[in-house]
Amino acid sequence: MRISYNWLKQYIDINLNSKELEEKLTFSGIEVESIEKIGEELKHIIIGKIVEKTSHPQADKLSICRVDDGTDIKQVICGAPNCAKNQKIAFAPVGSKLGEFKIKKVKLRGEESYGMICSEQELGISDNHDGIMILPDDAPLGKGLASYLNLEDTSFELEITPNRPDLLGIIGVARDLSALLKLPLNLPKISLKSGKKKIEEALALENEASELCSRYVARMIEGVTICESPAWLKKRLLAVGLRPINNVVDITNFVMMEYGHPLHAFDYQNLDGKKIIVRRAKNEEKIPALDEETYTLEQPDLIIADASKPIAIAGIIGGVNSHITSQTTDIVLEAANFNYANIRRISRKLKISTDSSYRFERNLSDETAEIISKRAAQLILEIAGGTLLQGTLDSFPNPQKTNIVTLRPSRVEKLLTIKEDDKTLISYLEGLELRLQKQEKDKLYFEIPFFRKDLTREIDLIEEIIRLHGYNNVETFHKSQNIMNKRSFYARRKLQDILVSSGFSEVINWSFADPKDLDSLNIPESDERRNVAKIKNPLGNDFAIMRSTLLPGIFKNTILNIYHGQKELKLFELNKVFFRKDEKLATEKYNLTGLLTGNLNPIFWKEKPKEIDFYDVKGIVEELLTSLDLVDVDYVTSKENYFQPGSGANIIFRKNCIGNFGKLDPKIAQTYSLEQTIFIFELSIDDIFSLQEKRYPTYKSIAKFPPVLRDLSFVISKEFMLKDIKNIIFKTNPKIIKNVVLFDEFISNKIKEGYRSLTFSLVFSSETKTLTDEFINNLLKTIIANLEKSCNIEMR
Amino acid sequence: MKEELNKILESAKSEINKTGSIHELQQLKSRFIGKKSGLMSFMKQISSLPKEERPAFGQLVNETKQKITNIILNCEAEIKESDYKKTLKSEFIDLTMPGRKHEKGSLHPITLVWREIEDIFLSMGFDVAEGPDVEDEFHNFDALNTPPDHPARNLSDTFYIENDVLLRAQTSTVQVRVMEKHKPPIKIISPGRCYRNENDASHSPAFHQVEALVVDEGVTFADLRDILNIFLKKMFSENISSRFRPHFFPFTEPSAEIDIICVNCLGKGCNICKGSGWLEMGGAGMVDPNVFDMLEIDSEKYTGYAFGLGIDRIAMLKFKIPDMRMLFANDVRFLKQF
Repeated sequence: MRISYNWLKQYIDINLNSKELEEKLTFSGIEVESIEKIGEELKHIIIGKIVEKTSHPQADKLSICRVDDGTDIKQVICGAPNCAKNQKIAFAPVGSKLGEFKIKKVKLRGEESYGMICSEQELGISDNHDGIMILPDDAPLGKGLASYLNLEDTSFELEITPNRPDLLGIIGVARDLSALLKLPLNLPKISLKSGKKKIEEALALENEASELCSRYVARMIEGVTICESPAWLKKRLLAVGLRPINNVVDITNFVMMEYGHPLHAFDYQNLDGKKIIVRRAKNEEKIPALDEETYTLEQPDLIIADASKPIAIAGIIGGVNSHITSQTTDIVLEAANFNYANIRRISRKLKISTDSSYRFERNLSDETAEIISKRAAQLILEIAGGTLLQGTLDSFPNPQKTNIVTLRPSRVEKLLTIKEDDKTLISYLEGLELRLQKQEKDKLYFEIPFFRKDLTREIDLIEEIIRLHGYNNVETFHKSQNIMNKRSFYARRKLQDILVSSGFSEVINWSFADPKDLDSLNIPESDERRNVAKIKNPLGNDFAIMRSTLLPGIFKNTILNIYHGQKELKLFELNKVFFRKDEKLATEKYNLTGLLTGNLNPIFWKEKPKEIDFYDVKGIVEELLTSLDLVDVDYVTSKENYFQPGSGANIIFRKNCIGNFGKLDPKIAQTYSLEQTIFIFELSIDDIFSLQEKRYPTYKSIAKFPPVLRDLSFVISKEFMLKDIKNIIFKTNPKIIKNVVLFDEFISNKIKEGYRSLTFSLVFSSETKTLTDEFINNLLKTIIANLEKSCNIEMR
Repeated sequence: MKEELNKILESAKSEINKTGSIHELQQLKSRFIGKKSGLMSFMKQISSLPKEERPAFGQLVNETKQKITNIILNCEAEIKESDYKKTLKSEFIDLTMPGRKHEKGSLHPITLVWREIEDIFLSMGFDVAEGPDVEDEFHNFDALNTPPDHPARNLSDTFYIENDVLLRAQTSTVQVRVMEKHKPPIKIISPGRCYRNENDASHSPAFHQVEALVVDEGVTFADLRDILNIFLKKMFSENISSRFRPHFFPFTEPSAEIDIICVNCLGKGCNICKGSGWLEMGGAGMVDPNVFDMLEIDSEKYTGYAFGLGIDRIAMLKFKIPDMRMLFANDVRFLKQF
């Protein structure tokens, strides 16, 4: 539903900008879908004065006007019959815009025109296009038209939830705001004067379907003058997106927008038998409706009829056989209420949705019918004249008793933790026009106003209280605390799971260690791992310290298992290591250590067994690091003395060593009586976490064009590492080269000493085009040239 | 002209029927009906014909083309069918030969139980808290209301690093650390490694324990029993319940030892429960007001409970492991069973 700021202000004296109003509405439960400035499109239209008018020498119907725009006199050609000297008019100068139409300097039959004198239709103010719009003589010359006519306004498109039919009118929205902002609600004052003639003398009402029409109020006014509505009324309707039609129809629409309850006016002279009958339709009964369609009705449909024909589909649309025309003098004003489910059914079946059906579908109140009937009658008498007949015809078979709902303030506190005194709670609800009937200890009895059928239970009142209190003003208390380090918790599990699915078995060893182990591993005296926590009363010398590496434990497990004939082993331990130097307690860190020895895979009859090598341990390390989102790592030769020289790597991340892996030096293996080749890795998980926050992948668009694959094979000196070679290739065209995959290394006596042959598969693709052969060939040439220049390669 | 077309058709027929491979068939297809085929060059003559003869001529050429196409399609189907039959013969499978194995490792039985414990409590809104293994006397003893002359403080019971630095004897230390940092409500478990100076068939100098601590307004003894029973039922089975025996712990009051119905015999009596039908599982109680006072938590406003259970013991019961030492021997023949 659309409302306008100026209209809203008629009922509540708010002083908010549109942003503030939007926020107030949204946080009281009325969502603002969009905001539109009205009058914006007329901002270049100014008030001008015709200072001279002469006839066009070449065209009878055109005249040449000289228009004063407040700063200058301009020549304007005008075709309107009503333009005359000394008139104040709406002037669109060159450069201004009317809708999509831009005003330019033009030549009309040889005479130049610098702008346009506008009609009301051209300005979008009304449908009047009989001539130019003539303004009062006191209109200020050169000023903006929109502000002079008070056309500047802001409209708000609101989403009204289905439980709140009372918000389908601007007064309803104003009422909510008045409760929220604690401002008085100014309802229209209604007083009616009627003539001597009684309505019963002119009209009869028969409600034959009271189960579908719970109320029908008819009033009659004789002798009205149907004409265009006054400017203020048209302005109001335009601001909320309704098209002005004539004064009486406009008033019914105006009142509908005020109270959210539709009404309808019939031309009395067209009512056969001077009767209004509310009844179900006969099968195949037809009605020509105001939307220029003829609808065929069925027995359960509800219609308004006169003695011989249907004159409206009840609550949905009127008929052309009885609508208000310029000839109308006597009118019947209908204000009624219809069963909402039935309205919804008919509206859906006939595929008609009107402002009226939209509202009746939402279960309106019977009581409002009487109020809007009076309000509309008052406005019609004021604007269209005529005489009101005495009394009403009112069918109201089952008036509902007012509902009383009990509220326990203790319950409010229990549910919302809002602890307010009774007075505050009462004032919240009285703002919404609930009336306090009775007050007992922890019991407040409220009478629910007729327009709030949605409030039937205590919990409904509690919802209103928090809406007015503000959802976000409710104080919060911690009910749970973020005590847990979830990231490290789940990452540890993930690492364990990856290792298990890669064939590793988990071992768990005591935390005690033998100080001699550090010597066996050739750990230097200055190394951090020498800063150990010593136990004063150990179980024995071989349990005298807290371990600072997990390696000795896993070696002992390996010895035991090999002794038992288990020669293919993949073991890991994820546990704490301890360091203690000057601090009172120890520094405790989680380490992950793994060991691989023997054949890589279980025996499989189709394939030869493969012994574990360096790249197997590197593969598992890479997988573990990737799972922790570590991709930009470097591998450098490790200085650990327990690796076979040249076969151990340190893992470097952001300049920090976060672990190492490689082949255990056979000499050290022997001190542990390990004859097999042993590969090990050790990662400091806590160091990794301290260096990097959790990262999430961000989506990258998927290539639309097919990739092109090319192989590249060359002989290169061993002094160049793969990483550097790949870099050179990528750098040649990083946008196009998507991947460089090594798929073969070849070393033999056919290749000269100190050299190796490498084969790469290159993947090219572009986001914008299909790559041509020519393009790829040129790119390959450049890559080769770059490699030749930097690494002196020889193509194979 | 008709004859010429017939000739083409006949030669196509004989050549196509001779071939036995899809590749050859493709070549024949382009030779007979491709853009540069004799048939298509024949078609080009159409422009030299008088207008009225053209439709008949065109129709004739197309008919021939259609016939050749059909021969090719039939031939293709035959070749594919015979290839398929060859495949069936050649691809011999012995269904009983083993498949290619992806070797799977195993989590340690302690880890399996540890995780299950964490998951049960996480699902009930607990946080998992951690603390150091190397502790000071304050967190391990003083803050837990342990009297200065308590025997647990002896060197014969607890491992010491220095006079007041030791290896924690229970993970209750983590409760103290959490209550130092966080005000109630608190709802945590703290699984972890503990150390006691003992080593025999049923005691390991390093072992694993899980402690639970709940502190809030209105926490009662009934909550303790309820949460503990829910945990036991989820961990073991619906048939398992617990009973409390009054006991003494310095940091809880009232304190109790927890027995559960023997998971092996469900209370009938067996060698695991030594005929009693019950198993001792750990200790529990309501947090002693002294502990709260020491940590500046209002002991009038808040109440709390705590309990501690042995993770290793649960693992032994769950997997029917007879000897505690097996848990730390790390024999893969043992480890791979889980």
